[in-house]
Amino acid sequence: MTLPAVDKREQPAHEHKNPARGFASKSVVRLVVGLAIVALFAVVRVLAPRASESFVLPDAARDFATLSISVVIESLPFVFLGIVLSIAVQVWLPDGVLLRRLPRSPLLRRLVLSLLGMLLPVCECGNVPLARGLVVKGLTVAESMTFLFAAPILNPVTIVTTAQAFGWDNGILVSRVLGGFFIANLVGWIYSRHPRPQELLTTRFQETCTVADHQRGSAGKVRRSVQMFSQETRAMMPALFIGAGMAGLIQVAVSREVLVTLGSNPVWSVLALMLLAFVVAICSNVDAFFILSFGATFMPGGIVAFLVFGPMIDVKMLALMRTTFTAKTLLQLSLLVALCAAVLGLAVNYGH
Amino acid sequence: MVIRRLVARWQGVVLSLIGLIATIWLGLTGQLALYIHPRYFVFTIIMAVIAAVLALAAFAFAPTVQDRHDHEHDEESDSRWGWLWPVGSVLTIIAAIVALLILPPSTLTTATVAQRDLNGSASALTLKAPALPSKGDYSAFTVRDWASLLRSGAGQDFFADKTATVTGFITPDKSDSNVFFVARFVVTCCAVDAQPIGVPVYHPGWQDQYKTDSWVTITSSFRANPNPTSREAIVLMPDSITPTTQPAQPYVY
Repeated sequence: MTLPAVDKREQPAHEHKNPARGFASKSVVRLVVGLAIVALFAVVRVLAPRASESFVLPDAARDFATLSISVVIESLPFVFLGIVLSIAVQVWLPDGVLLRRLPRSPLLRRLVLSLLGMLLPVCECGNVPLARGLVVKGLTVAESMTFLFAAPILNPVTIVTTAQAFGWDNGILVSRVLGGFFIANLVGWIYSRHPRPQELLTTRFQETCTVADHQRGSAGKVRRSVQMFSQETRAMMPALFIGAGMAGLIQVAVSREVLVTLGSNPVWSVLALMLLAFVVAICSNVDAFFILSFGATFMPGGIVAFLVFGPMIDVKMLALMRTTFTAKTLLQLSLLVALCAAVLGLAVNYGH
Repeated sequence: MVIRRLVARWQGVVLSLIGLIATIWLGLTGQLALYIHPRYFVFTIIMAVIAAVLALAAFAFAPTVQDRHDHEHDEESDSRWGWLWPVGSVLTIIAAIVALLILPPSTLTTATVAQRDLNGSASALTLKAPALPSKGDYSAFTVRDWASLLRSGAGQDFFADKTATVTGFITPDKSDSNVFFVARFVVTCCAVDAQPIGVPVYHPGWQDQYKTDSWVTITSSFRANPNPTSREAIVLMPDSITPTTQPAQPYVY
């Protein structure tokens, strides 16, 4: 693993002699190192101990591992799909194709962007790299937020599963879809009025945008795609692993009985289910089935708040979004979305 | 600092590889069902292979422009707490290796049953109410089907002539020490949304013979629970219980 770090670029004299050959040989060495790491990991996995009586963790620790691993295994393909789509948008889509076709009026642009999730049914973890790609491509910060928050809810898979779980009877489906649409556009509108939107982004992500500007047209598209993959995984993977670990830990550690006792109160049911949405960090495509199990215990407003708040803000999403937005921005966003979701939930509870 | 730059540059790709190798290995050994619903298998494996190719290519085409920024960040993070970041990154990688490459894959246990209401789930049981067989052959009925019927309130008369053969893991009834459940988890998407369901079994002293979480197959008829104060009115009352191994697909869908 030490080889790739040897940065020969700092010896320009050497590179200028025959840069193409130097690069090719370095690439081969690095590829061999990569293959060696793959082989090492594969051997570790194959030789690792099988489950046996002597290798049994306490139940809670085992379930913590199972739940965390399950979040990782389930999210990974979606995150990679998001990264691949992000690369496609940034590298392969001709400049301006997407942005030119969006309406000029900021309000209409955000309305259209919030419906983009209909075409890209990636769940929320895949949307973060895609939203990053869209910002690099020229979307404003506020527009990217609108897309990020609306897409997981206004997505055909989410709508179908919510309809399967709750049907049309109690207004949960309509409240979820319209509520999510309204909140995402409200957030976009509020942040579109920010005087210096760049300050909402982390320094590192701002640099990524600048680097992308410089890189445009400079390197081969394949090479740029691969570099972008490396760059995006560097931002996303630690966030995904840490987020999954936190989601697993909280599920094992926090007693649900506490939450359930709060469920029959119109106010507490909303707050408790928002807290539950935050900690379980479940994918928006299936969260309706999950929360259906609380349907008998919790009031419908609580369920709507869960279904609207969860896809926008949860522990895993905060970790993923921290790759792009500053901590202060995320705190503001969380409070804003929480407030909106709570108002929506209370309106449903008291309106029934 | 070399280590810091190494970690900064390769952490994402290495974590990806750990996840990808774990995914592909689980797929090859038929254990992916311990974590996700079978409908995601093909998608998961295809994306894993695509990402593995990209990750390997990332080694060959190591970032170039990025390097300058690594240096800048090195200088920025030379503060008093600057060491925390690379240490945290290394710990994340180690934790990922232990969790995904070293720990044996496993199912959820009774600890999670306790966290999630057993048979409390409307979704797991009523979304897929079993169609009653016309010829009265209930041999294909699973834990889920019987639990659905029990929950739907079918009376004692209905169960009087029925025999169930069910396989599941043992989890205790919280309120009645003479009863345990033959339980399974119903999974909609992944283990995170697993909902426990189970059929009650009346077997005083079961704790001395069987371990919680061990897998059993039970063939038995239904009876009224001898304990009228118990929450479960109708129970299985088997003469013998057959210990078995965990099935390849431990969850039901």
